[in-house]
Parts: sequence; C-alpha cells; structure tokens
Amino acid sequence: MVGDDAQLYTMEGIAAAFVILMTVYLVAGTTSIYTPGDSHISDMQLEVLGNDVLLVMDTPTEEMKESNLTLYLRTWNATDFERNFTSLLRSRTTDGPDDTLRFAAFVSYNTTAGTINTTPFGSDGGRTGYEQAVRVTRLVTIPGRPPETPGDFREIKQVVMVEVLIWRG
Amino acid sequence: MARLDDDGQWIVMMGFLVAVSIFFLALVINQATLVGQTTAEGVLEFPKSDIRDFTEEVHTLVDTGDVYNSTINETLRRDIIALEEARKNTIVNYSVQQVDISGKTYNETIYHFNNGVTVYDATVHY
Repeated sequence: MVGDDAQLYTMEGIAAAFVILMTVYLVAGTTSIYTPGDSHISDMQLEVLGNDVLLVMDTPTEEMKESNLTLYLRTWNATDFERNFTSLLRSRTTDGPDDTLRFAAFVSYNTTAGTINTTPFGSDGGRTGYEQAVRVTRLVTIPGRPPETPGDFREIKQVVMVEVLIWRG
Repeated sequence: MARLDDDGQWIVMMGFLVAVSIFFLALVINQATLVGQTTAEGVLEFPKSDIRDFTEEVHTLVDTGDVYNSTINETLRRDIIALEEARKNTIVNYSVQQVDISGKTYNETIYHFNNGVTVYDATVHY
C-alpha cells in the first residue's frame, strides 16, 4: 500500500526545490561571458578613438586656416604626421606610461588612370600581418600633387582619403 | 496517519510572495547586462564618423568656394564618390544649388550616404 502520509511536506519539498532551481538559474544567467564574438565591441571603441584623433588633426587651429592633417599631406610630411598621431592616440589623462596602441597610415588617391591606389604614409613600426586592426578614414582636400608621391598622383587639386590601421600592440 | 500541522500558513504564503518578488528583481538584474550591451553596440555601430567626415568635407568645399554658384567642382565630387566606393564600400553623392528663400540666397546641399546598413539623406541650406 502506498503511504499517503505527509503529502503537504512533499509538496513543500517540491516548491522549495523549484525556488532553489529558479535562483540558481537566474544567478548563473546573470553573469555575462566574454566570447570571441564580443571582441568587436572593443574594436568599435578603438574606431571611435581613431576617428577622434583624425578629427582633431583635421581641425584647423584658426578659422580659414589649413589643418595639420592637410599640411602634412600637402607637404607629404609622414614624420610629423606620425609624431602628432602617436601623441594623440596614446595620451592618457592620468600620469604614467602611455597607451600601447600602434598604427599604420595609408593614403588612397584617384590616379591619372582613373583607378584608386593606396600608398603608405608612415607607421610606427613593422607589422606581422596578424594584428587585430581596425581601420579609420578621413577625406582631405589637397591643392596638388605632394612631393615624393608615386608617379600616378594627379597634379590637380584633389580629394584623398587618409586611412589608418590601429591595433593594440 | 500523521497529524498535519496547519499552523502558520500565512507565514508560508508570505514567504512564497517574498520569494516571487525577489525572483522578479533578479530577472531585472539578469536582463540589465544584455540590454546595456545591445544598446551600446547599437550606438557604436552607427557610422556617425563616416557620415560626419563626408558631410564636413563637402561643407568645407562649399564654404571655401569650391562649390559655388551652382558650379560643382566635378573633379572633387568624382574623387569623393570613387574613394568612398572603393575604400569604404559606401555609395555617396551630393549636389549643391543656389535657392532663394524669403529673399535670401542659400546654398542648398543635398547629401546622400548609403553603406549598405545605414542610409542617410540630408538637405542643408547654408
């Protein structure tokens, strides 16, 4: 014969078990696990930083004057571009060592043949090809062909695109 | 048969009610991280910088007289369109014309931006 004693205790036990299961489920589910797919969030933050750096460099210090970025491109001064970009990219509000971000810059331009070419415009070191880099760009108008640029650079006033790869080194 | 102790049923019921309300609060906390993450992603994924770069460059061209009196500098326009398409996979276009509004002449700039995910159109009188 099946004993039907203590049925309320059984029900209470089941209810308690349900409460515990629910709690464990919620606690376990609340923690967020950083998966490889989430890495694009930090990539996007890097993009925001890079775009800000280019924006600052492309902003003239006085009205109707040319920006530093235009100056560097017009004179093809990759050295000063590197220095300026590095200091803006790596500076921190706190004391202590600078950030460890690395970058490589390129300039894309419309060639005499009507195609788009890309030429290097300074970087802060070598690359292995395995960097998890993001790319930020900015359009710049330059009055003519800068010195020491490839031969298919047009002589006329034109718009070029500065592209910078940024990664955490 | 064992005697069922039916004392304190109110206490048991209140216990359950408290447990259920704590579950509800836990559920809110449980969703908070997910909601925060998706919101932040949505904000970051919008190509704000790309759109601003394009419109600012065109605006600078308009402002410095490269595009004026309805004569767009066609070379610069083609440069911008070609560069955005080749290097950013983005279709852009713009046109400028002078319009008279309330007796004043404005440059009416129409921007078009489409990177496959975000479409942005704007008309600016300046």
